[in-house]
Amino acid sequence: MDITYDKNSLIVNGKRVFIKSGAFHYFRTPGVELAKNRFKKLKSAGYNAVDIYFNWGYHSPQKGIYDFDGLKDVRKILQTAKDTGLFVIARPGPFINAEISAGGLPLWLLKEKDVVPRNRINSTYHYSPKYMEYIKEWYDHIIPIIKEFDNVILFQIENEYSTDEMDETYLKELYQMARDRGITCPIFHNDAFNAGLWADVVDIYGSDIYPYINPNQNWKQDNFCFDTLDNYEDMVRMSKEDAPPFIVEMQCGWFDKWDGIGYKAMREVFGKEHINIMTKTAISQGVTLFNHYMAVGGTSWNNLACDEVYTSYEFTAGIDEYGSIKENFRKSKEINYFLNSFDLTNTGNRTNIEFGENMYAVTREDYTNNCEWLFIRNMNTETKDISFDSYNVNIKPFDMKICPKNLDLYTCKILFSDAEIFARIKDENKEIIFVFQDKNANLNIEFNGQKETISANKKDFENKKYEKDNKLTEFVFISREISDKTWIIDDKVIFNADYVYPNGRIAISENSEIAYFDIKNGFSKTNLKFEGKKELIELKDFEINFCAPELDYDYNYSTWDKLPKDTYDSLGIEKYEEFIFYKTQIPNNLEEITLSARHLFSVYINGKEIINRNSYKYEKLQQVTETISIQLNKEILNKDKNELTILVQNIGFDKGFSGETNTPRGLVEFNTTPKIDLTFYAREKFAFERNDKRESTCPYIARLSKTFKREQQEGHFTKPLYLSMKDFPYDRATIFINGIKIGRYLKNINNISLQEDFYLPEPFLKEENQIDIIIWEKDSHIKTAWDFKNDLKNVIIQVGDKEVHQIY
Amino acid sequence: MSIVPEFLLKRVYQKGSLTQTAEGVCFKLKNVLGPGFISGFSFIKINEEVFEAQKVKFLTQGTEIEAQDVNEEHPIGFRLGQEGTLILKGANCLKEGINQIIIELMNPEAGKVKLTLTDNFQAA
Repeated sequence: MDITYDKNSLIVNGKRVFIKSGAFHYFRTPGVELAKNRFKKLKSAGYNAVDIYFNWGYHSPQKGIYDFDGLKDVRKILQTAKDTGLFVIARPGPFINAEISAGGLPLWLLKEKDVVPRNRINSTYHYSPKYMEYIKEWYDHIIPIIKEFDNVILFQIENEYSTDEMDETYLKELYQMARDRGITCPIFHNDAFNAGLWADVVDIYGSDIYPYINPNQNWKQDNFCFDTLDNYEDMVRMSKEDAPPFIVEMQCGWFDKWDGIGYKAMREVFGKEHINIMTKTAISQGVTLFNHYMAVGGTSWNNLACDEVYTSYEFTAGIDEYGSIKENFRKSKEINYFLNSFDLTNTGNRTNIEFGENMYAVTREDYTNNCEWLFIRNMNTETKDISFDSYNVNIKPFDMKICPKNLDLYTCKILFSDAEIFARIKDENKEIIFVFQDKNANLNIEFNGQKETISANKKDFENKKYEKDNKLTEFVFISREISDKTWIIDDKVIFNADYVYPNGRIAISENSEIAYFDIKNGFSKTNLKFEGKKELIELKDFEINFCAPELDYDYNYSTWDKLPKDTYDSLGIEKYEEFIFYKTQIPNNLEEITLSARHLFSVYINGKEIINRNSYKYEKLQQVTETISIQLNKEILNKDKNELTILVQNIGFDKGFSGETNTPRGLVEFNTTPKIDLTFYAREKFAFERNDKRESTCPYIARLSKTFKREQQEGHFTKPLYLSMKDFPYDRATIFINGIKIGRYLKNINNISLQEDFYLPEPFLKEENQIDIIIWEKDSHIKTAWDFKNDLKNVIIQVGDKEVHQIY
Repeated sequence: MSIVPEFLLKRVYQKGSLTQTAEGVCFKLKNVLGPGFISGFSFIKINEEVFEAQKVKFLTQGTEIEAQDVNEEHPIGFRLGQEGTLILKGANCLKEGINQIIIELMNPEAGKVKLTLTDNFQAA
């Protein structure tokens, strides 16, 4: 595939292409079947590209090991994108951020001698030849795979990078490494600061646009948050004159944090209005390459997440982590269909127009359609009527419209319309323009030299035809509600479907009358019966056992790894799992122990809890560290040989955007008073993960186990399954399905868990499934082990279908 | 590391704007980075002299704002391209030639935002 570009757009095989991309994380949406499902939805909604981060750490769990098999088979993901008809924007890092543990750098790399992750310490540039050598190793593995696919149209080096010195050596070497390994498509970087960073190092300059990252504020009140986007074209042109403006990450939402507001509340913020404004403003600024980040939500299963985020990486994406489509997806579909109807890849001569306070308006000349487009946005709380070239423009609060001016059609010309166009389908002689109903908007038409104003205040499917010289232009009016369930697949229009696959298969969630329309055959209808059943299984009477024999006094840990002197942290001892047990013997004359651990930890002496602490704290985007001192006494140190056990939960490494990926985790510091040398032993994971199912005498860590079956239904259904922890009475739990860790339940400082529903990804499910929930309880909440066990017997968990679609 | 690299933050300071007026020492800021909020003026240091918020005021878009009135509950919007003048009330601490300046502001998302820079001052 021949990929070039000029200042307006990408040019693929000699043809300008408007790139409408959506971000997708294969590591958070495991397996090729889920990728197929999500890619098909993107394609049907008019996207023509998918953005894929390649996660180095996911593929390289240990030094020298690279795994591209099974769920990690990225060839299959790329092949699926190709088969679906999507271009790929390849982003293999080495650093990707993505709110992934260590930003996607392999954890083993962080401790390698002479390696400086990202060639910087704090914000200071430190070039590390050794780090560059390891990147070559990664590129040697990933680039040959990427190169196999000619639908890869863009390639990114690093991500959101800066140093105080802005030395270009690192980025220049990455660029050359990619070229040396056969990457022929344009190479870009993603500038987080919209400051033209690295524009001279790459072919196409690209940047993040996240106008709104503080959900505690209100973008409707603080609407100047769009300032950067409103000036995007000028900013890009200052940095790169000969390449098209490229928004590498165009905000679709934002990630929620442990102390956040929850994705339900986030969805109210990032709905259809927000994505409408984002995308249309970008187009008004001459953007012809955009990537909605995220278009597909995901699940940070196992140890994927960085410490900031919880399991769901829903991100308020258009397609949520279950694969359900949301209102911002429908709005994206609407804009994509418009862009697929009218080629806006070659526009220019932007003119800003003043329409008063809180209004944004620009016009662009369109050199392909020989017309002009007015882009107009109203950030006032009341509807505005604006006069534009003697035409009235009616625009509701927080709405943005793209209005054609002097647009030639087959038989007539749109002089101006403030009724927006949904889509156009056509053949050589006929064109159907679907226009949105709007009681206050008009289409101003010129036909045979006569001007006519048509009100868009119409009923659904009301039409207006113009015929001339054996050609037909027909305007068909539809409501937004109709458009939400309208799909255009290869010039065939399908109405009233929840969603449609690119091969024309239809998904419904209730009995539906589906209408089809194409130019040749006109309308036809069919009734589809919905026979799906939404199931909810109540899981109770769990098998319960206290599952941490490591806490028991006299537990034999002699086979564990002996730690080097004064080295405890997870990087130092090469234990990267979430849970690490540390054990040692302490004398009975110790007065105090002092420790710092990340992120949650408990200290047990002789099997009795001394402290159970959540040390996780973030303030102003910075992790706050704490050191705890614990006074000891004879009641605690009540044996000749006292056994100290420390259990630490690491909820992820720093993502490395502004912090350091190699900030220590696990037991970070440990000291005693009086100071003595201790020999520590350590082991990671819970015993049951090693199939060690011995019952502990200590009640602090309990495992609830239960199996359940999924009933299969005749026919073709999609039924994403979830596990509900609603009303769960305990503070901390780790959830496993068939031995795979799929969720962290953790109540925050406000005693709520922002995530109560956990996705059970289909690739992890079997006919009969085992749920294991590990509860880590505080001593103060346990009266007796017997009482605690009895309480645990009352736990009820629900497993159910998030939604059910029948596919025809 | 600050969320925004320091070399970019420094672009907010208008070089050559350092002046002595009857009201005190003044200099100008212009937001060339992106829209945001200032949720506090922690302090400004010129050479060895530190000015807490109560000795600072900010003039922007025709409004005079006492720096001590700016906090997380009452942040001020600072738009892309917006200019403002910081006045260190009653200050008389400039020296001929190069002056060392540290400005520490607060931002709701990023927390402390610190600019360390120099500017030249020539008495009239």
